[in-house]
Amino acid sequence: MVKSERLQVERVEPTPGAAWLVGIAAWFLPGSGHLMVKKWGRAALMGGVVWFCFFIGLAMGGHMFDLSTGQGSSALLQVPPMIADLGSGVLYIVCWLIGYGFADDPAQAARATYEYGTTFLLIAGLLNYLTMLDAFDMAAGRHS
Amino acid sequence: MRHFLVMCLFAAMASVVFGAMAKDTPRERWLYGLKVFAQFIVIGLALAWLLYFIPW
Repeated sequence: MVKSERLQVERVEPTPGAAWLVGIAAWFLPGSGHLMVKKWGRAALMGGVVWFCFFIGLAMGGHMFDLSTGQGSSALLQVPPMIADLGSGVLYIVCWLIGYGFADDPAQAARATYEYGTTFLLIAGLLNYLTMLDAFDMAAGRHS
Repeated sequence: MRHFLVMCLFAAMASVVFGAMAKDTPRERWLYGLKVFAQFIVIGLALAWLLYFIPW
């Protein structure tokens, strides 16, 4: 293969700016990224799963993570689950602003569904990251 | 029983997203989603039995 042919093959299509906007919207409001690329079914299905997991996690008495709980090096241990929770976008931000779902009191931790709720809250965020990447790829024309 | 139902709910939610993202045709997506769901359940039960015998 001559050099000019190789350069032509290796050229990568630039990502359109709108795709980044779709990605940010998909993170911020679960399901909205697919709505922006007019994939109604996927928006309802994938966004619906994220919303469902988040609210069932809260209903089970789950706990979300931020940096305020740990002290010293244990604050660093809060970072990975906080990143997972943060995937829920505006749902996490609103709860953080009103201080709902972050309480770590013994009465809440004693609930039988406390650990399940925490897991569902983490999963809601992680699944929304996947949903966001799917919407971004669609907006960038990488898959349909 | 409640533990198993919650695990099934978790598996269903995760497999819906995995199934919707992967593959090309609706049939392939259904099959992949069901496969992921079954894997979550089977591996979850296997781990539960494994941990049952570990005296922590």
